[in-house]
Amino acid sequence: MPIVVNLDVMMAKRKMSLNELSEKVGLTLSNLSILKTGKAKAVRFSTLETICEVLECQPGDILEYVE
Amino acid sequence: MKTTFILKLMNVLFWIIFIGLCIKTGALLVSFFVTLFINSDGAADTYMGLDLLDIYNFNVEYYIGIASFLITLSALKAYLAYLVVKLFLKFDLNQPFNEYTASLITEISYYALSIGVVAIIAENYGGRIMKQGITIQIDWGAEQFLFFAGIIYIIALVFKKGVEIQNENELTI
Repeated sequence: MPIVVNLDVMMAKRKMSLNELSEKVGLTLSNLSILKTGKAKAVRFSTLETICEVLECQPGDILEYVE
Repeated sequence: MKTTFILKLMNVLFWIIFIGLCIKTGALLVSFFVTLFINSDGAADTYMGLDLLDIYNFNVEYYIGIASFLITLSALKAYLAYLVVKLFLKFDLNQPFNEYTASLITEISYYALSIGVVAIIAENYGGRIMKQGITIQIDWGAEQFLFFAGIIYIIALVFKKGVEIQNENELTI
């Protein structure tokens, strides 16, 4: 899929662990892992909103289109 | 609660149907071999009063043909009942859409279609014999099985789509 999820990059920039993000966003570790590894088929706006809020970033920082 | 009860009841019913069809297939096979190799009077009561003695006396090849169709159809129906029993054993109402159920329903539709096709061939074969003056009173039930196959195939397609939607839903974060 040409959409790449850069969640791990943003997490590293904010020095945040997966457990911490999971607690703050309210998602399970397995769901976050699915998102991080790019296995997810879709992302809800509400999820994206919360992740952006917690990581203090824009959706474009997390999602990237690569040809 | 009510649905679970109905499912259990249908499971028991299909077990009975499956066992009944297995017995019928076995009885037809035994009767067929007895008629051919031991006593030709066996054709007078092939199974539950089914009289094929006239056909046997008219032409043994015709008798073999009709009996073979009867045995084949009965065996196919028994296997179809077995597939339905398998479906009821694995069916989970909490997670009905899964690959196994979808493929099993597709398989059931294919078997129902093949029963319908074999029944049509048998009907035509019987019709050809009847033109020669022999009466055959067997209801092959081709139309019912073709109709059944069509309906089940549509349900199988719905299930396949359901599995896709469920997978997508599970991977939506």
